Amino acid sequence: MKTLIFSIVLSTMFFAACNNGTPKNQTADNTTPATAEGPKTKGGSIETGSSIKDLLNSYLKIKNALTKDNDKDAADGGNEMVKTFDSFDKASLTAEQAKVYNDIVDDAKEHAEHIGANAGNIEHQREHFETLSQETYELVKVVGAGQKLYVDHCPKYNKNKGANWLSETKDIENPYLGKSMPACGTVKEELN
Amino acid sequence: MSRIKIGLLVLSVVIIAIQFVQPARNQNRQVLDADITRLYMVPENVKAVLKTSCYDCHSNNTNYPWYANVQPGGWWLASHIKKGKAELNFDEFRNYSKRRRQSKLKSIASSIEDGTMPLPSYTLIHKNAKLSKEDKTLLLSWVKKTRDSLLLKN
Repeated sequence: MKTLIFSIVLSTMFFAACNNGTPKNQTADNTTPATAEGPKTKGGSIETGSSIKDLLNSYLKIKNALTKDNDKDAADGGNEMVKTFDSFDKASLTAEQAKVYNDIVDDAKEHAEHIGANAGNIEHQREHFETLSQETYELVKVVGAGQKLYVDHCPKYNKNKGANWLSETKDIENPYLGKSMPACGTVKEELN
Repeated sequence: MSRIKIGLLVLSVVIIAIQFVQPARNQNRQVLDADITRLYMVPENVKAVLKTSCYDCHSNNTNYPWYANVQPGGWWLASHIKKGKAELNFDEFRNYSKRRRQSKLKSIASSIEDGTMPLPSYTLIHKNAKLSKEDKTLLLSWVKKTRDSLLLKN
């Protein structure tokens, strides 16, 4: 008798789990508009959305984590950057700046997402970091960084194909090769 | 009846019952305008490799295997297809921004080089989807050519 009750409970649980699938999605849908309203009111009254400075901070967080071979912190930085893109205050951009921003945003956000989702696979994070660096550079170039930045180049990464990154320090700390070759690279350009 | 018998009976009822929960099929049939083959030059041999090795999860047309009809096999498959399409959909390639196209091509090349795609769990059952050395070279050189042509255009 016990087994019978147990089996019935088990199967009802199973069906309950199956049925949950759709309602769950619905509640998720319901919450989306609510959260979509959130930033709007926030942007209107308290504070404007995130700025290029916030984007750079999350970018540099990824960069610094990668120089230390720290995939977890890099992932945190990636997730932060996704959020920053989501709340980015586009209204502050000029038409020309907005054009570049719109051009890079969906791709850059996707790279940040992948960095966020790939703790445990630092090489994959670095692959995405490469394009993310290029796109961040282009954005900073037209929007301005608001801080001193160095564009560094590592000739060895990716079978000597080379790659660039942005850094807040003049000293080279290589995010592509990490601790195995921390000082590889040269400053190519300085941004103000 | 013994406990084991009852247990088995209930289990088989559950297994039969879940067979009625069939996920929607990922089959569109027509070639859409956003398809990558309408956007870039894709030679027939490349197209054939893409179809057998990638399109099951990365297009709007899955060629369903027998186990798709047996649950929970079909559910497992459906979740893979959903994820795969979100990541890369060859049938939606035109809808990506220029930069995203570039990034997608880059990721295609690196996943092939690293052997992370097609998924080993997929090629285990779909033996013909496994990329031979020649297939890899073919795809990689096509990706490279396509990426180079995009760089020239920019």
